[in-house]
Amino acid sequence: MQRKSTPLTFGLIVIVGLLTVCPVVMLILGSFSQGLGSFGTFTLDKYIQSYTDPAFAEIIVNTIIFTLGSAVVATLLALFLAYLNTRTNIPFKFLFRIISIIPMMIPHILFAVSWLLLLNPSNGLINLFLKDVFNLSSSPFNIYTLPGMILVEGLLDLPIAYLILAPALASFDVSMEESSKVCGASNLRTLFMVTLPILRPAILASITLVIVRSLASFAVPSVIGMPGRIYVLATHIYRIIATGFATDYGMAAAVGMSALASSTILIYLYRYLTAEGDKYVTISSRGYRPAVIDLKKAKYPFFVIVAVLSFILIVLPVLVLLYTSMVPYSMVPSARAFSMMSLRNWTEVLGDPISILSVKNSMFLGIVGATLGVILSIFVCYAIVKVRTAASGILESLSFLSFSFPGIVIGVGFMWLFVRTPLYATIWALLIGYIATYLPYGIRPLTSAFVQIHAHLEESSKVCGAGTLYTLRRIIIPLLIPGIVSAWILMATMFVRELTLSVVLSRPGTEVLAVQVLRFAEDGLWGRLSALGIIMILISTTLVIIASLTGAKFTKIQTVGGDEPH
Amino acid sequence: MKKFIVLLMTLLLASSTYAAQQMDKDVLAQAKKEGKAAFYANITAIEPIVEAFTAEYGVQGVYTRMSTNKFFATVTTEFEAGKLMADVLQAPMPIMEMLKEKGVLASYSSSVGQDYPEWTRKDDQIQVFGIEYVALIYNKELVKPQDVPKRYEDLTDPKWRDKIVMANPSAHATTISWLVGLKEQVFASEEDWRNFLKGLAANRPMFVASFGPTPAPVESGEKLIAISMPKYIITKAPAPLDWAQISQPLLGTPRGIAITASAPHPNAGKIFMDYWLSKDAMTMLAEKVGEYVLYPGVYPPVAGIDKAKVLPIRTLSDKEIQEWAMEFKAIFDVK
Repeated sequence: MQRKSTPLTFGLIVIVGLLTVCPVVMLILGSFSQGLGSFGTFTLDKYIQSYTDPAFAEIIVNTIIFTLGSAVVATLLALFLAYLNTRTNIPFKFLFRIISIIPMMIPHILFAVSWLLLLNPSNGLINLFLKDVFNLSSSPFNIYTLPGMILVEGLLDLPIAYLILAPALASFDVSMEESSKVCGASNLRTLFMVTLPILRPAILASITLVIVRSLASFAVPSVIGMPGRIYVLATHIYRIIATGFATDYGMAAAVGMSALASSTILIYLYRYLTAEGDKYVTISSRGYRPAVIDLKKAKYPFFVIVAVLSFILIVLPVLVLLYTSMVPYSMVPSARAFSMMSLRNWTEVLGDPISILSVKNSMFLGIVGATLGVILSIFVCYAIVKVRTAASGILESLSFLSFSFPGIVIGVGFMWLFVRTPLYATIWALLIGYIATYLPYGIRPLTSAFVQIHAHLEESSKVCGAGTLYTLRRIIIPLLIPGIVSAWILMATMFVRELTLSVVLSRPGTEVLAVQVLRFAEDGLWGRLSALGIIMILISTTLVIIASLTGAKFTKIQTVGGDEPH
Repeated sequence: MKKFIVLLMTLLLASSTYAAQQMDKDVLAQAKKEGKAAFYANITAIEPIVEAFTAEYGVQGVYTRMSTNKFFATVTTEFEAGKLMADVLQAPMPIMEMLKEKGVLASYSSSVGQDYPEWTRKDDQIQVFGIEYVALIYNKELVKPQDVPKRYEDLTDPKWRDKIVMANPSAHATTISWLVGLKEQVFASEEDWRNFLKGLAANRPMFVASFGPTPAPVESGEKLIAISMPKYIITKAPAPLDWAQISQPLLGTPRGIAITASAPHPNAGKIFMDYWLSKDAMTMLAEKVGEYVLYPGVYPPVAGIDKAKVLPIRTLSDKEIQEWAMEFKAIFDVK
């Protein structure tokens, strides 16, 4: 599939480059400059000081365990849920689909705090319950540990993994599995010998993206890791930033460069591992129909397993959120707590003009941003997958550039950039920043979907005289609908709860939801924070439903996995 | 002759009062023309003060809240690019002093500033108006009255093991300054202070990122006591929080306010700063937000706080903070 680079690829390199390289260049300049701005006298001091810190080795080890662990947890869970959901006749599918993407919609800080309430060793609800039932003298679980961090981060990144794996599973050519079964293999053997190997690009994409994301994640390392005295790269950077009143973002950027380097290596590794793209093509012009496996008697036991799993892992924290939004302060559930419940937090939030404005702004950014982001992602993926040249490799790496920078630093990169343009302090700065940073959320699901479309389809179109754009519009895009829906959902829900860029770029008039959430968090107002968090979940759920219905209308191919495949 | 001098003095006083009033009127007229006053601050829930200002002067107050760790970077980035949108800045004194050094602040001595203690006006640029006071906040339902600490040293009692929450002493600048302040202003000797630190560390406090997350674990009973801010007793009511009325002074970082040198609305900025320092605004800040303000006679509605001795911590340089951070990192065994 090697071809010459087209003007399209170069055009895209310029666009994506401008979007993602500029803020990173500002940070690189800052990391080599004396003083606190992006321009100053050249110095290597910031690198020397950051990388000679004796604690750095332990931080790296923690970071590797944390990111890899989260990637494995998220991917395994997503694979399990997506497989049952898209490929089997398990009942109540719609429910599962919502549950798998709910963590995407909750502000991460809130999700982490909910888990503290459930699993802290002093009076975590699950711990209290287990101590009571089994008559234990001490709490069986301690959330303030690396496994605790991995569990919560893995759950938070579950939607990313799910939205990458589900479309790949949904657009799966049944003939390979049928061949395996014809040769006498069992369902389980077929799963391990045929299905999973074919899904390799999607699985690797999921692992890559979760690693990169958890590397940049701050909520879990700060809310769970810091009290447990477990430091990873993001909290180490925070420590550099917080220690003093004149924050040296250049030094934070210097530390962030190691995250950037790791992510770039990962992207190249991923490209290398999936280099023989033809192996994974499953939608060719020779008939395509994803099949459903009858779980027979195992149907309900499987449902119970997934339901219990989903309840403990996802429903419970959301219930905690609802509970917190009704009680006047942080309190362990009791008869007294229930008697003190009221809608006060809700009326305060709904009566606050800034909260209402932030709802409007976030919805605008979610809908418009995700739509523009997906359009750009389609072109980028086309260049990455179908025009596999060195230039498209550069394009893929570029798309990850801002994304793989730790969040608390990249916002400052954008500020240093936008302050030199008329866009500063406008909603457009947020829109551009969001798309530039979260481009991989559009590109990853679309790439896994693109990889599976055979070149024959495109070639047939071209033989019939169609141009590139016409082929994209009439042949490729309709087959990509599941990927497009996933990408749109990932981007829209991300934009609705985006914090790291917003907190630096938002100004009066351009307030967004997550910044409001942060204000409540800084003031310790968890009740209002939870109420606003639930409003965020409702907005995101509406967007997800609209996206899924629109996707279903445009194609008969199963989308994220709700309806029966045809 | 005596009569003549008295007459002359009276005339001079009358004319200067008239001139001041005339100037105030001019400033107000100009401010109204400018239309708005933009205010950057790191302070909680001050919207009612900004609204009251708008209602009183017909000049719109626009408030941008900026967290402490982004304040200096954002203001200097905007200032250097010629795009500083703020007319008035409010931040902890260490930040204000660095901004002064960078030339971001303008000279303006608010007439209302005269009502404040003399030490709050070190120059004609920054006016100190409050102290971010730190105290021991406990859960009054779970801690018996006899167990409430009476001195800072009581926190080293083993009964508090695994029961304390505080901001990270190896990273949180305000907590680092507070610990250093204890050494310089509260403890009799460095040895006593070091024993206090060792005892506190031995009780394995839980560390969180800043003061913001300190009250929640105390409210819920996950921990019993926090090194935190008494203002949460007001903002988090009806949470069962109270402060330990210890015999030693309370310490805190002073908060300052100033006009910017490049203010897009300089007159509106002056009117805003005057209003901010007024008794009305300070009363609102104390009563609604629980802040410790320096306007004489105005206190937050926290029982016993009017009797407490609240002292400002001296400004520590970032270099000093970082050095102490390394030392506290070792003492508190933060990895």
